[in-house]
Amino acid sequence: MLVIKELVKKYGKFTAVDNLNLEIEQGNIFGFVGPNGAGKTTTIKIIATLMQPTSGIVKVDGMDVVREPMKVRERMGYMPDFFGVYDNLKVCEYLDFYGSSYGIPYRERKKTADQLLELVDLSHKKDSYVDSLSRGMKQRLCLARSLIHNPKLLVLDEPASGLDPRARIEMKGILRELRGMNKTILISSHILSELAEMCDTIGIIENGKMVIDGSVDDIMRRITGRTLVRLKLMDRLEEAVNVLKEQPMVEGIVQEGNTLEITYDGEDQDLWKLLKALVDHKLPIISFGKADGNLEKIFMEVTKGEEVAL
Amino acid sequence: MKKWLYNPVLESELKIKMRGWRTAAAVSTYLGIMLLISYLYFNMTFNNVYRYRNTFDANYSIGLQIYTMLAILQFALIILITPAQTAGSISGEREKQTLDLLLCTKMSSIGIIMGKLISSMSFIFLLIIASIPIFSLALLFGGIAPSDIIMLFAFYMITAFAIGSIGIFCSVMFKRTVTSTVVSYLTIFILGILTVIIGVNMLSSYYSKFVNSATAVDPKFYTPFVFYLNPAIGLADILARQSGNSTIDAATLISGVFGFGYYGSSNPSGVVAGNRWAWNQWSLWLRNAVVMLSIAVALLAASAWKIKPVHRPLRNKMGGTSNG
Repeated sequence: MLVIKELVKKYGKFTAVDNLNLEIEQGNIFGFVGPNGAGKTTTIKIIATLMQPTSGIVKVDGMDVVREPMKVRERMGYMPDFFGVYDNLKVCEYLDFYGSSYGIPYRERKKTADQLLELVDLSHKKDSYVDSLSRGMKQRLCLARSLIHNPKLLVLDEPASGLDPRARIEMKGILRELRGMNKTILISSHILSELAEMCDTIGIIENGKMVIDGSVDDIMRRITGRTLVRLKLMDRLEEAVNVLKEQPMVEGIVQEGNTLEITYDGEDQDLWKLLKALVDHKLPIISFGKADGNLEKIFMEVTKGEEVAL
Repeated sequence: MKKWLYNPVLESELKIKMRGWRTAAAVSTYLGIMLLISYLYFNMTFNNVYRYRNTFDANYSIGLQIYTMLAILQFALIILITPAQTAGSISGEREKQTLDLLLCTKMSSIGIIMGKLISSMSFIFLLIIASIPIFSLALLFGGIAPSDIIMLFAFYMITAFAIGSIGIFCSVMFKRTVTSTVVSYLTIFILGILTVIIGVNMLSSYYSKFVNSATAVDPKFYTPFVFYLNPAIGLADILARQSGNSTIDAATLISGVFGFGYYGSSNPSGVVAGNRWAWNQWSLWLRNAVVMLSIAVALLAASAWKIKPVHRPLRNKMGGTSNG
């Protein structure tokens, strides 16, 4: 359904997407993960025919995004990470407007709009003004909008960003329903755990390159045997990093605020030695423990973004 | 409605624009300003007539004066309102973060641009229609035919189209509405002033060549090209034509200071011997309209090209090697 081959996008000297390859089968849900600024949105914008690629091929259902953008738009629904709504427009009119922009006949789009509002649970807001909706509702409305022309491929850029937990769960429920409709979905997020439970395959992008991709299980199998330790300090983080670097079994350290996340290749009984070394240096440790959540481990493992050591 | 005539952007813009009290308030204010100024003008004119002549001679020249005054006033208001209507059309979508959503629909970029322009122009059209009762004040006195008013209104629409396209172009080129608005007003202001200054210079240098020459030259055959860029000159020409050789010459109001306003009134039909389809046989306002329309079309095409997110590479179009 979606084929990306050797995609490159450069902004002047900066390469946002660097030789990216990706293939998504019909009916699959693909999770596109990466830290902020890794090139997710750029890739998605190219798929959505909103940006010219520097080189490479992107095809949606066999249609090239550069040569046949109109045919791609027919087959693809796009939901951006940030979007606005028009003032003074009602929910039903909002959907009607986009429906007509896709050239759908009046009766048909009325019917589809009603069904979609049902799907995203906004039927009761049909006659409300769009700008009076809450953020979560707007997000759902935007999702309904991207489905108005019944696209085969759905491209969602951070659909859960800025939503409260309840709205996130609602969004997930809708996506599950869409999966039942056999839509191919590409969904991006910077939080891996958010995607893992609903995606068939995931790809992790870092500095414009696809670092790893495959099914969630597959990726898990590939990276095993390592422990992720989370360490929180009051201060003197640099010192702590230096101490950790001296430890033979430490493979990677990622700093996030006052927290250090350590990829550690060793048994549990070796762990206390690590703690001892830190305590011997009288470092102000607040907490020290094994972090669970293999997904985050994978993410840390493959994205080297803010790594400070090794 | 025919499919090619139907424009979703236009429909939705009109819906949004006409909703609420804003448009009604805008039309009322507009008419209020026109009414107030024409009242003051009426008052002044009649007072003068009574004071100096002691009789009131309601001849057609009063109708003509009122008509001219209203025509210029309305023209000025259109010039002032149109940029404000259009300069935010695309940049506003960008600021609201709705442009991408619009661009990835099946609407063509020219369709989006035209929808925006026509919705702004329809507002101007509404103002013009709403002003008909005020214009009919002039008809009371005679001297002006309804066809004159139709011609004037057509020229208004052409002007709104041209100025609107400048506004649209600015809103495409500049990210922020504020910048776009300022630049489009500046462009229009500079265009209005600069064309007159340059044109007058060109005229004087042209005629200075004939000062000592024995051959008489018909000034009708020389009009500096820059004049065609200025809708005010077209308006002056229309008004001069319509008033004929009456007591008031509208051309003198706008451009007469420089002494070229009389071309229009010298030959209202605009037809001299020779090929009547030749460019220099057209009346000045018509040439002005044609030039403005061509520039507007070019600006709109450029705007549509600019907002189009992906362009097919030329070498691919030519059937050359594909990229990648």
